Amino acid sequence: MRPPRLSALFSFALVVVACGLLQAQVTPPKSTTPPDPKPDVDKGRLPLRPAPNLAAATTLDAVDAFVNWASASTMQQSDEVRRTIAAASKNAFAAKALCDELARSQKVDHSRSVILLSILGELHAPGSTACLVNFLHQPFPQKGTVIDGEIVEQTALGTLQAKAVDGIAFQHTPEGDKEVLNAVAQHPSRIVRAEAIDAYLWNHGDSADARATLSKVVKPDEKIFLSRIRRVQGQSAADFNRQLDVYMKAHPEVAPPAPEPAKKETRPKQGVNKDTGTPAPPR
Amino acid sequence: MFRIKFPIICLLLISFRIVTAQNCAQTSASQADIDLWNQHGCWQTFYLWEYQAYDMRSSDWNNRGWNDACNRNMEYPKHWSAAYLLTYGLADDNAHSFHGTADYRGTAERPGNNYHDSIFHSPSDDLTIFGSWTYHTFGSNEVKTSCPLYNPNVAPNANPASRAGDFMHEGWHGWMDKYNYNNGSCSGHRCGPTGNCSVSNCDYFYFHGIGAYAFGAMYQTNGTASRFHSPNQVQVEFLCDVADYPKSWMPASVRAAARVDANQRASQRFINGPGYSCGNPRPW
Repeated sequence: MRPPRLSALFSFALVVVACGLLQAQVTPPKSTTPPDPKPDVDKGRLPLRPAPNLAAATTLDAVDAFVNWASASTMQQSDEVRRTIAAASKNAFAAKALCDELARSQKVDHSRSVILLSILGELHAPGSTACLVNFLHQPFPQKGTVIDGEIVEQTALGTLQAKAVDGIAFQHTPEGDKEVLNAVAQHPSRIVRAEAIDAYLWNHGDSADARATLSKVVKPDEKIFLSRIRRVQGQSAADFNRQLDVYMKAHPEVAPPAPEPAKKETRPKQGVNKDTGTPAPPR
Repeated sequence: MFRIKFPIICLLLISFRIVTAQNCAQTSASQADIDLWNQHGCWQTFYLWEYQAYDMRSSDWNNRGWNDACNRNMEYPKHWSAAYLLTYGLADDNAHSFHGTADYRGTAERPGNNYHDSIFHSPSDDLTIFGSWTYHTFGSNEVKTSCPLYNPNVAPNANPASRAGDFMHEGWHGWMDKYNYNNGSCSGHRCGPTGNCSVSNCDYFYFHGIGAYAFGAMYQTNGTASRFHSPNQVQVEFLCDVADYPKSWMPASVRAAARVDANQRASQRFINGPGYSCGNPRPW
C-alpha cells in the first residue's frame, strides 16, 4: 500500500483544526421566552406567602400545596413551617398523603423526598412515624451504578433513610430510640449510621449518658463518630474553633499527612494563564 | 478538489458530534431546581454574563438549552441557575462562614487566577461520573459536569447545590494542578476504601477553624497539612455554607439538599474522616 503523502496528511490536519475552530465559535445563548424583570439578588424575587393550612387539608391538592410552600420557604419562615406541621398532627389524611407522595417521589426527585421526610419527621402523627420506620426498613441495595466511586443507588437511599432516622429520633419515644440505636448498630450504610449517631446525641442534649448508650452499640471502627464536630447555625467561631481544638487533641490520629508534591515536569501552557478576568456579575 | 472536500468532511465531523451529543433526558427539574428558579426567573442579563464568566461554548451546549435558556428542565439553564446560587446565594458571614463568595467564584469561573489556570465548562453524558477536570496542553483546561448532576431520575445530586458543589470539586483539581500537588491516582483521589473512607475515591480532610482563611484567601497554602484543602473538602465546606449561611431568600429545598450532600460526603469520602457535620439533625 502506498504511504499517504505528507501534503494529504497536512491537509487532513488542517481540516480537523479548521472544523474545531468553526465549532468552537461562540454564539450567545438565547431564550424562546421573554425575560423576567431583574430579581433582587439580596432579598429574592418572591414575597413571603402565608402557610397553607395543613391541619385542615382534606384533598391531595391541599397537601401538595403545603409541600410546595414549605419547600420554597426561607430560613425566617422555619418556625412558621414547624408550627403549621405541628398543628396538623391529628390529620391522618395528611400523614397518609405525605407518605404516599414520598413513595412516588423517591425514584424521581430526591430533593422533594427530603422535604417530605422532613415534614413527616415534624408531624408527630401515628401514621407519620410508621411511614418513617417502614421507609428506614426498605431493603438496602447491594449493587448498582458506580458514579465517582460510590454506588449511587446506595447513596440515594442511604441519604433518604438518614433523613428518616432524623424524624424517628425527633419523636423522643422509647420505640423510636430503639429504631435509631438499631440503625447505629446494624444499618448497612455508613451514611445512615453516622446520621443516627448524630440524631441520637442531639435529641438527648449531647449528654454523657447518650454517648455511653451509643458506645455500647456503635461499630468499633466508628467510635470516632461519637465525638464528631457539628457546625450549626448561630454557633460562634470561637465555640466551633474550641470544639475543633478539643477534637484534634483527643484524636491525634486524624491529623492528615503532609500534602504530596506531584512528580511531573512543568507543563507549558499556551498563553492562557493570565488573569484576564471577567466583568463583575450583574446586580 | 480541496474546496469541495473541506465542507463535506467538516459537515461529517460536526454532524457526528451532534448525533453523539445529548443522551441525558431534559424533561424535568428537581424540586430544588424549581424553587431556586422561582427566585430568579428568566434573568437574561445574568445568563449572558454567566456563559462568558464560565467560558461556555454554543458548540458544546447546543441541544442542551443554549437556545432555550429559560427552560428550567434543560442542562444549560440548570448550569446558569447553579451559578446564580454560587454568585448571589451566600451570606458571606465573616463570623460563621467557612469561606466567601470570592473563593467559590474564583474556583468555579473561567479566568486563570489564584485558584487555577483558565478553565472552560462543558457538559457530558457519562453516567459514571458527576464531573471531571481535564488538562489541555493547548487552551484552557476543561471542567465537565455530567448527566447525574442534571437529571433528577438518575442521581440525588441533580439539584443546584450539588451542581455548584461539583464546580468547587472540579475547580479544586485545577488548584491541585496549578500548585503541583498529587492527590492520588484514582481519578485524582487516593484509592479506597481506606481508613475511614468507604468509597473508592478518597481524600484527606485538612481541618481548619472558622476565620482561619480570610474571604478570598482559600487558595493559600503553606505546603503543609496545616493550611491546605482537598477537592471533597472544598465541596463539603461550600455545601455547608449553602446549608447554614445562605442569603435569606434561599429555599428550604436547596438548603436541605446541600446539607444532605455535605453530610454524606463528610461521612464516607475522607480517609481521616468524618469531616464536620453540617447543621443539627432536627427534621425541619
